[in-house]
Amino acid sequence: MKMIWAIIRPEYSQKVIDALEKTGISAMTRLHVTGHGAEMGITAGLVNYSEIPKEMLMIVLPDVDVAHAVKIISTTAKTWQKENPGHGAVGDGKIFVTYVEDAYTIRTAENCKDRFGSSGKETGNTV
Amino acid sequence: MKKIIAIIRNEKVEETKAALMKIGVNGVTFLHVTGRGPQKGMIPSRLPAGGCPPYIGRHPLRTQNDIPVSAYLTSRPAENEKIPGFLPKRMLIIVANDSDVRPIINALIAANRTGCHGDGKIFVCPMISAIRVRNGEQGDSALV
Repeated sequence: MKMIWAIIRPEYSQKVIDALEKTGISAMTRLHVTGHGAEMGITAGLVNYSEIPKEMLMIVLPDVDVAHAVKIISTTAKTWQKENPGHGAVGDGKIFVTYVEDAYTIRTAENCKDRFGSSGKETGNTV
Repeated sequence: MKKIIAIIRNEKVEETKAALMKIGVNGVTFLHVTGRGPQKGMIPSRLPAGGCPPYIGRHPLRTQNDIPVSAYLTSRPAENEKIPGFLPKRMLIIVANDSDVRPIINALIAANRTGCHGDGKIFVCPMISAIRVRNGEQGDSALV
């Protein structure tokens, strides 16, 4: 069981959500965040904008589905440049993957760790 | 050390705070998030027959307290109607010692369980260390 934290452009979030939904990954949490990467934001003239609005998606998945989900997010959240197709732009975001040891459904007070196990039942993901 | 990430209903925040305070957990971070579960928001046709058990509190999609959730459940979405999708929720982050994880989870479930879809999930993740910004204290002692 793994947790994916994906920081993406807000204008691409719906596209990413739709793409994930198509493969059966529909359970996720969305956060509005601001931040900047190694480029320290955007500098326009004398002004530096370091808090750039982004959207963060939190998805918990069985181990087997993680690689697939990361691939979908990284391809759909990528900006396609006209002059340089296939390469994204600075600010497209990052994806982080962490371990999850345990999961509970509050409604049933059950440990739903097995559902996030190898079966992928919770997400309905068949990939 | 473990990080507990819980996603709960907005209207259960005060109850959760009280429940956590009762077991001596005072360090909690609350975030405003939107989210949905495997049922993609709330789709009436996918809810169990007979609707939800009596729901106490406010429905996330309604602003008034007095509208029962059953009123919403009986209205099926039209052919091309968009499903609600992402519902407003509150995310809770608690970092605790391994021995405190079990009581915290029990308290969270007891305070937030209504029996309806959308009660939320609790995730437990491993955490390597914690550092107190004020004095640079590290490890378990930084939590208390």
